[in-house]
Amino acid sequence: MAESVFSSTGTGTETGAIIAAPATSAGSGLTRLRSAGLPLGLAGIVLAAWQIAVTLAHIPPVILPSPASITKYIFDHYDILLMHAVPTTVESAAGFVIATLLGIVLAIIITYSRLAHEALYPNLIFFQLIPKIALAPLFIIWLGIGSQSRIAFAVFIAFFPVVISTAAGFASVDKSMLRLCRALTASEWQIFTSVRFPAALPYIFSGMKIAITLSIIGVIIGEFITAQAGLGYLIIFATARADTEISMAAIVVLCVCGLLLYGLVALSESIANRFYSAENT
Amino acid sequence: MLAIQPAPNSVVAASPLVSVNNVQKTYFTRQAPVQAVASASVNIARGEFVSLLGPSGCGKSTLLMMMAGLERPTGGSILLGGSEIKEPRRDIGIIFQDATLLPWKSAIENVLFPVRILKLPIEPYRRRARELLALVGLSDFENKKPAQLSGGMRQRVAICRALIHDPDILLMDEPFSALDAITRDQMNVALSEILETYKKTVIFVTHSIREAAFLSDRVVVMGGRPSTIMLDMKMPFERPRRFEIEETSEFAGVCRQLRLTIEGAHGGQASQPPAARGGVIE
Repeated sequence: MAESVFSSTGTGTETGAIIAAPATSAGSGLTRLRSAGLPLGLAGIVLAAWQIAVTLAHIPPVILPSPASITKYIFDHYDILLMHAVPTTVESAAGFVIATLLGIVLAIIITYSRLAHEALYPNLIFFQLIPKIALAPLFIIWLGIGSQSRIAFAVFIAFFPVVISTAAGFASVDKSMLRLCRALTASEWQIFTSVRFPAALPYIFSGMKIAITLSIIGVIIGEFITAQAGLGYLIIFATARADTEISMAAIVVLCVCGLLLYGLVALSESIANRFYSAENT
Repeated sequence: MLAIQPAPNSVVAASPLVSVNNVQKTYFTRQAPVQAVASASVNIARGEFVSLLGPSGCGKSTLLMMMAGLERPTGGSILLGGSEIKEPRRDIGIIFQDATLLPWKSAIENVLFPVRILKLPIEPYRRRARELLALVGLSDFENKKPAQLSGGMRQRVAICRALIHDPDILLMDEPFSALDAITRDQMNVALSEILETYKKTVIFVTHSIREAAFLSDRVVVMGGRPSTIMLDMKMPFERPRRFEIEETSEFAGVCRQLRLTIEGAHGGQASQPPAARGGVIE
């Protein structure tokens, strides 16, 4: 009679799971094709319309070069573009990494110290209201025209979303879960490593995904103001000479670099998730 | 502790495993002190299943949290095996209303969570975890994540987790009240079956009269404002318990008496607005 209660519920859900499993796996192939195909198709249509409009309306290349001529420029001058892409990407990555570490450390301090929370948190919110881009020239005064000023500025605008979302992630842990840990005589360190930090991971990564785009923006603005190399420098330089084709090519390369960095963040997220769902943590 | 042999079905033991002596709990809020428990004294023998029954806000969960060492009484003392409970102890298993599983971990890894926290050797306990999951009918689900399990299955995982490190005492805080009525009935039978295999001392908080009567050796009714123990009643039913006992007139009589006690304590105040209840000051 012991079995009767369990087996009846057990098989019920089991069949449910069996029915559900193939339905999702069969659907995923089509869904994946659709979710990749639709945006690519739309982008293709827009590019084609652009190409046709530029050709038919005889828009001068200085106003709007055609996608074809931009593509041709990229293939003909990939060495120059690559040369400028490297400092921009490296500085963006550096700014992003520092912003992430700084953001997580600040979030830990806010979470564990009530005093720090009360003193720091309102200021962080206020800080967020400053149009931070307006401060970019000051970083040149403070740190010079080298890459350190651009990295510092990237950190300055990128760390904020990491702090806020990481702190929200640490606070998101279920109160009963914390009580369970305390009832098990868990140390604060154990609670942090085995409950709080993994629970906050989705929050941390959503903050990081915002931070990586902000970091690139920070570096580009820095390069607009002063630089001898970098895609931001190339864009300003080319635009000043009314060479729109180079500007557009630089922007395309910038998009690719941004996508690459974003992809690395997404990749590290899936690695972290796999690590925490594994057995040995 | 050594003197007491595990004595299944013997309700009265020589000296109690848990001894609650005139415990009081007052919360000091900004407005006024709120007395959650005015006075409570209960003795619980090893192997006994005792329910704390009462309406919401009667202090039964507070009393349970004090037994877990998560809250300190403001008066009186709680002894476990002769020593006072002042902080959480390793030999207590606890189950809450929600399963509170780690969503990124599989069922078996959730069961092993206390083993990791207590830094016990994993491999021998992995075997025990499989045994426990098999006992609750979840053998095929040990590698599933909580999101892939039903509410009842998740709560069964939580029960396995509470039992994994073989604690002396199981503290259960309304463990089935978030489940639907059918699942809840199944969980009641499941729990009494588990306890036939792994004999434990259980303190079970509930506001369901039927559940308390079905599961317990003794039902302790809490109530009144401020809250005290209104009734401490032995359940006269045989073990193992099956659904059929709920159809007996004896069961109906017991439930009726429990309900009358609760209504007697709260009857005059049940119709009062919440503001009147909030102002319990002593």
